[in-house]
Amino acid sequence: MAPVLPLVLPLQPRIRLAQGLWLLSWLLALAGGVILLCSGHLLVQLRHLGTFLAPSCQFPVLPQAALAAGAVALGTGLVGVGASRASLNAALYPPWRGVLGPLLVAGTAGGGGLLVVALGLALALPGSLDEALEEGLVTALAHYKDTEVPGHCQAKRLVDELQLRYHCCGRHGYKDWFGVQWVSSRYLDPGDRDVADRIQSNVEGLYLTDGVPFSCCNPHSPRPCLQNRLSDSYAHPLFDPRQPNQNLWAQGCHEVLLEHLQDLAGTLGSMLAVTFLLQALVLLGLRYLQTALEGLGGVIDAGGETQGYLFPSGLKDMLKTAWLQGGVACRPAPEEAPPAEAPPKEDLSEA
Amino acid sequence: MALLKVKFDQKKRVKLAQGLWLMNWFSVLAGIIIFSLGLFLKIELRKRSDVMNNSESHFVPNSLIGMGVLSCVFNSLAGKICYDALDPAKYARWKPWLKPYLAICVLFNIILFLVALCCFLLRGSLENTLGQGLKNGMKYYRDTDTPGRCFMKKTIDMLQIEFKCCGNNGFRDWFEIQWISNRYLDFSSKEVKDRIKSNVDGRYLVDGVPFSCCNPSSPRPCIQYQITNNSAHYSYDHQTEELNLWVRGCRAALLSYYSSLMNSMGVVTLLIWLFEVTITIGLRYLQTSLDGVSNPEESESDSEGWLLEKSVPETWKAFLESVKKLGKGNQVEAEGADAGQAPEAG
Repeated sequence: MAPVLPLVLPLQPRIRLAQGLWLLSWLLALAGGVILLCSGHLLVQLRHLGTFLAPSCQFPVLPQAALAAGAVALGTGLVGVGASRASLNAALYPPWRGVLGPLLVAGTAGGGGLLVVALGLALALPGSLDEALEEGLVTALAHYKDTEVPGHCQAKRLVDELQLRYHCCGRHGYKDWFGVQWVSSRYLDPGDRDVADRIQSNVEGLYLTDGVPFSCCNPHSPRPCLQNRLSDSYAHPLFDPRQPNQNLWAQGCHEVLLEHLQDLAGTLGSMLAVTFLLQALVLLGLRYLQTALEGLGGVIDAGGETQGYLFPSGLKDMLKTAWLQGGVACRPAPEEAPPAEAPPKEDLSEA
Repeated sequence: MALLKVKFDQKKRVKLAQGLWLMNWFSVLAGIIIFSLGLFLKIELRKRSDVMNNSESHFVPNSLIGMGVLSCVFNSLAGKICYDALDPAKYARWKPWLKPYLAICVLFNIILFLVALCCFLLRGSLENTLGQGLKNGMKYYRDTDTPGRCFMKKTIDMLQIEFKCCGNNGFRDWFEIQWISNRYLDFSSKEVKDRIKSNVDGRYLVDGVPFSCCNPSSPRPCIQYQITNNSAHYSYDHQTEELNLWVRGCRAALLSYYSSLMNSMGVVTLLIWLFEVTITIGLRYLQTSLDGVSNPEESESDSEGWLLEKSVPETWKAFLESVKKLGKGNQVEAEGADAGQAPEAG
């Protein structure tokens, strides 16, 4: 029944282990805090940009999972700090003896599980952003004119603020606005011939123009913004529609938002990977420290050598022990013979 | 009769010294906070110096930065003194320096209070610089070809978008200046020629505003041109239309931004000033109580601490006397020198 991965730990290496563990635990707590901040930031960003993502998009699950994983990592780090500090001080260690075992199990299962889940989400979800953004932006642009329709009255303001803040125009370029009616029918004069012509010439009865909203305007342009009659070469002096338009923002909002969200998810993912590594190291170190100190019987100052290990026996033996212990617990009122049989059996299997 | 006498035994003195040591280190942190507040204000003023004619006064942020640095230095020194105060040998080194040091601390506190007051009072000068600077900025809006002023259009546009404002006092300021460069005007058009002829200076004035004045919350697409002409747009009345453009002027918007910034900095500085005054009073009590321990060997004995040895009028009289004595001392020396020279000459 050899212990798994044993390590001989005399006094000095034990002290070094505890000190190194203290440092790693603080780093883990810091990393957990950073993940909390990053995922909080991403959640706030998603709240603002929520209208431009399709409702079926699963992307908001990522920062929520990362938030939970970060909180557990922070907790594990603080536990590691306390335990490594206590392992150097004989008076402080006894209360930790009973608590450390369950805490380690919880940390590995809960913390490790959450981190793996969050990492997986960070790798898988950004791929679905493309379609979600496309759908969301199409809806938003279509509802730009519906400032009096309940449920969509904020669309104009949100799209304008998006284009102003992120320096983009339309979905993939400013020409997207030519295919959408963005002027509300309420402000169209039915008696105007030009308006009537446009509406009649369109199959769906939409009023389409070659103009864009004011929020597409680029302040860096040297001339006052040209918003209307952008396909007409004779409408404005010194303006050629065939040249790249320097008047308006060149990028489409789809590309800008995709890059922005993917960057945030990428940062979060790399932070999660680093935290996973740190957490694994801290949990391993704590386990070795715990088993080494158990070997001493919980007496810290003894200078003797002990052995630290990961598991007391191989996996098969552990399962057998657990099964037997479970069997003993489930058996009814103990009689003379069966309990006498069970403990010798357990001794045999442990010896 | 001493002012605000308090009895101190050894334990109380030790507690006072330890408490003061901790407070001094918190005060160093507070000094760093004041320093960073001053730095932040300086950067904010620099960012928008284009619309302030580059002539804005940096007095408030500079004094906050200076006070922050001084506070760090003084308080770390005071922390060291408090740390040494409990060891009679080390304290004997500091003893002769403490009285002038406390006088400097009192002076520092007075200056800190004045700086905090300045944070509240100096918005008037900012208003004038802003008014002038914005007027010039709007004048140069169209000069995107002139080197040295080509950035003004971008600056004013970004300012109006960020601070949600339009023009100097309102959007009508744009009606009075030519903000469209001649380069982009079609001089063969009759309308352009009419407008230029009807103006005394030959400027092309329109009742229109740049796009950055538009308010995204408006339910209708932004009306930028022919703003005062109701018949040019369907279902439009410029008297009742409020959501189309930003109504606030940029001068008021920037002024309120900087005022709130300086007010909050003034409040923080006042709170830190109160903290510093408490530290100075504690240090004075520590100094007088340690001086009251008459015999250095009996460091366990009780002593008294006070703020002033005699009451306020008596202290003021004694101060005036010492100043007079200083003057008289010089006089006696001068007479002595004359008397010395006279016998030599004679």
